[in-house]
Amino acid sequence: TRPNVYPLPPGTHLLFSQSGRIEHVPLEGYEMKKNDAKAVLHLPETVIIAVAFDCLEKMVYWTEITSPSISKASIQGGDPVEVIGSDLGSPEGIAIDHLGRTMFWTDSVKDHIEVASLDGSQRRVLINSGLVNPRAIITDPPNGNLYWADWNRDAPKIETSYMDGSNRRVLVKDGLGLPNGLTYDSHSSLLCWADAGTHKMECMHPGRGDRRQVMEGIQYPFGIASFGKNLYYTDWRRDAVIAVDRHTGRESDEFQPQKRTKLYGIVTALAQCPSGQNYCAVN
Amino acid sequence: DATQGTSGDCKPCPCPAGATCAVVPRTGEVVCTNCPAGTTGKRCELCDDGFFGDPLGQSRPVQPCRACKCSDNIDPNAVGNCNRETGQCLKCIYNTNGFFCDRCKEGFYGNALAPNPADKCKPCSCSPLGTVGQQTSCSQVTGQCQCLPNVSERDCSTCQPGFFNLQSGDGCERCNCNPIGSTN
Repeated sequence: TRPNVYPLPPGTHLLFSQSGRIEHVPLEGYEMKKNDAKAVLHLPETVIIAVAFDCLEKMVYWTEITSPSISKASIQGGDPVEVIGSDLGSPEGIAIDHLGRTMFWTDSVKDHIEVASLDGSQRRVLINSGLVNPRAIITDPPNGNLYWADWNRDAPKIETSYMDGSNRRVLVKDGLGLPNGLTYDSHSSLLCWADAGTHKMECMHPGRGDRRQVMEGIQYPFGIASFGKNLYYTDWRRDAVIAVDRHTGRESDEFQPQKRTKLYGIVTALAQCPSGQNYCAVN
Repeated sequence: DATQGTSGDCKPCPCPAGATCAVVPRTGEVVCTNCPAGTTGKRCELCDDGFFGDPLGQSRPVQPCRACKCSDNIDPNAVGNCNRETGQCLKCIYNTNGFFCDRCKEGFYGNALAPNPADKCKPCSCSPLGTVGQQTSCSQVTGQCQCLPNVSERDCSTCQPGFFNLQSGDGCERCNCNPIGSTN
């Protein structure tokens, strides 16, 4: 059988989904090496929405909505392996806790958030109330926090809880439209989101509650990822990945794949896991 | 492979007009790289998310990919709004359902095709005391709940004139007032 995954060279990459494929662009510093962009994985019969990356085992995880499932594959080559294949409605967001070796996902049909070990075992529902259109979900493993966004048109919100679902709180509810994308940068402790309703990109320190606009007038963001001072988002109108400098609030680059269709989730595949120990290992 | 030097080296792309193709280096497989808008797949045989049809007629008569047809009862920010082959709507909103989101879902009534969302599907809200078997569904069109004997109103919430005791849960009883001493 032919391997489905085209191995990636070492280094930091952006991984993003475009319908039946996962593409990558290498990062050199903050720059997208567009000429080296390639498909990592080609599964034409699927519609891949969210992507997440396990920096420890160098695996990409993704959610698929045509026959709803969650799968993974090594970016160093090999075949995809399905990890969750039943009892899914519309899995649209996925996040990895590389320290705790678990994954979290949102389901916008079942309107809940689930957690399972990275092999799909020990699966359980974590949050099952007060969700209408949950989509983006993000982990902060060193601090044991979970963040997610619900683009419910009547009451959009960004929420947080511990990774066991306890201490659930609403972080943001005012001035939101369609918060499709969410990302957390552990270096700066910044939570940033991209909103297709307000057409804004904003950031805040979840602990401090300060909130700052990075950019406005963006077209139709879907996914967002962070790397250092940069934010990278996918856009449904531009069919492109757009790089934004978080400090200057300016667009610095754009990558438009040859294939012109919607781009969905995006994630930074770091060459090494960020330092930090498991919050559970402390006591 | 244009380096062989024979007239059959270059073959036309097995793709719809306008699409380009490429050979996957390791496998030799030919895939289309620039499928027409709304289509995808190795041979442009599938519809993109948000579209439905069978552009090459692989499992049904040829039908170009078209945007999901869901009676304006889907949200453009949602993904997977319809089945890519059949077009069956999968994410109806405004309390609608059905293949084209063209009916009110169970427990709701009205006109799923009304232009204004507020005029679409309203909850039946059948009165539990006055409705047969405490049903929560009603007539899709009129919203009439199925009332117990001598109970009236769309939601079965009151007794008919001359009847009382909705609280019984078995329908209303005749008042039995003496016609001579009563005002009505």
